[in-house]
Amino acid sequence: MAEPESKLVLEIESLKATFEKTTTKLIKDIKRHDKIMIRTDRDQMRELKKLEARLEEVEALQKGQKQLVDSFIKLIAGAIDAKSKYTGGHCNRVPELSEMLAKEANKSNEGIFEDFSMETEDELRELTIASLLHDCGKVTTPEYVVDKATKLETIYNRIHEIRTRFEVVHRDLTIEALTKKLEGQNHEEVDAWLTQEHTKLISEYEIVAHANVGSEFMQDEQKENIKQIAAKTWTRNFDDTIGLAHEEKQRILSEKTVTPGIEMLLTDKFRHIIPREYFDDKEYESMGFKTVVPEHQYNLGELTNICISAGTLSVEERFKIQEHVIMTIKMLEQLEFPENLKNVPLYAGAHHETLIGTGYPRQLTKDQMPIPARIMAIADVFEALTASDRPYKEPKTLSESIRILSFMVKDQHLDEDLFKLFLSTGIYKEYASLNLKPEQIDDVDVEQYIN
Amino acid sequence: MENLNIAETKYTPVINLSIDGTISMIGKSYPENTFEFYEPMMNWVKEYFETSAKDVTTVNLEITYFNSSSSKLFFDFFDLLEENHEEHTIKINWIFDEENESAEEAGEDFIEDFEDLDINLVSK
Repeated sequence: MAEPESKLVLEIESLKATFEKTTTKLIKDIKRHDKIMIRTDRDQMRELKKLEARLEEVEALQKGQKQLVDSFIKLIAGAIDAKSKYTGGHCNRVPELSEMLAKEANKSNEGIFEDFSMETEDELRELTIASLLHDCGKVTTPEYVVDKATKLETIYNRIHEIRTRFEVVHRDLTIEALTKKLEGQNHEEVDAWLTQEHTKLISEYEIVAHANVGSEFMQDEQKENIKQIAAKTWTRNFDDTIGLAHEEKQRILSEKTVTPGIEMLLTDKFRHIIPREYFDDKEYESMGFKTVVPEHQYNLGELTNICISAGTLSVEERFKIQEHVIMTIKMLEQLEFPENLKNVPLYAGAHHETLIGTGYPRQLTKDQMPIPARIMAIADVFEALTASDRPYKEPKTLSESIRILSFMVKDQHLDEDLFKLFLSTGIYKEYASLNLKPEQIDDVDVEQYIN
Repeated sequence: MENLNIAETKYTPVINLSIDGTISMIGKSYPENTFEFYEPMMNWVKEYFETSAKDVTTVNLEITYFNSSSSKLFFDFFDLLEENHEEHTIKINWIFDEENESAEEAGEDFIEDFEDLDINLVSK
């Protein structure tokens, strides 16, 4: 065998061995690679299924949570409506009207609505929640203020009334004794005098009683007249500092009242002033509230109240009523709303603002009032005007309610574009047919308001 | 030669390499650069078998989740163990949670590929 050949063979054999080793390794590597790929695919699929299952779970939880929040919000709105018969179904009807307006505003491309859009479920939900909760601060408003129907109405300790009856019996006994003693007098003269005095007293009482209703504006001279009537005196023979709870007793004792004492028919006394408890001025200011805060919490003064110029509410009570929006804002700002509901406190808290800084509590102006807030303001007024479930007032007709809205638009308390949209799209009719009594629905001359 | 310990991160396992003969890895394996991350470990293991291997070396692997490049690296790691298994006794425990099918299947793959290695599947 020739040597070169065997060398070549050896070389080839050596190469073959290396080649085999390399190819074996390569095959192994390829197989491994395939294995890894298949396994990775399988793992990915498994992960995907797991993620999908988890996503479903999260979505179900989210849905459940949303339903819980929504039902909770409805519960609060229902509670406010149930608290006072004076609100009726207000908190549930304002959202209905707000939604109608928002949907039409979204469709419209005219004027201020050109850039306005409210089409996603989240955006509408934000407005609905805000409208459901716009009066939530009313849970803190005392009912006697919300429902104050006459000027002298208040939470009252009837011991004072009982005492007055005792005063009457006391006097009757004195009169009976005097009558017996004086039987010898000229009866006709006495009768004439008594009739005159009684007539005068009765008419004076009628003046006071009439003023108490607060249905008419009170002029200064009427107030003067009442003050003169009020200054009539009577003698109190009974101690008016007994039968009282601690707080009222303290107020009365500080007057250093004596028994028997000379009293006026109607009077303002120290006891009528309920001082304002701690008030956080800084917080009030930092939250942007601008409504002037009266010095006292309440002034129950008889003369002060009977001389209220318009309506039945004192300055202090009016503030207490307006405070419901402040409470609404404070309550809602405490809630951790997610990003998609962050405007709820803003929308809900601006329903008593006007477009020219004369509203409350922040005295906002048009540019500070986003369209949804303006929608709520108009819905709030219109619902209140047309509501037929308020025992203290007759529901207004559709045309009368729209006429009042038009005045408020003229005074720039409500948005003109929204008012026109409300009329031109026929929402007013749609809302009326759903919520007003047939006898309230009359013809409305829409043209005169639109043009 | 010294022990090598690499702390656990959100995406990489804790690695304890001890010259008393235990090698352990516990955790997830999704390094940004797998081969770079495991290089110190691979080097340590090579040096260990060359210079300091004990009579019995125990390898405990408890990798819950891992990416495909980690998978490739584990094959390389088992290659390294296989190269040394004739001269040294090596016991390998592939530990997995019984609910973790992926980890179990991976262990089965390694057993299939490395017939000569002593790999135990240990279910927790």
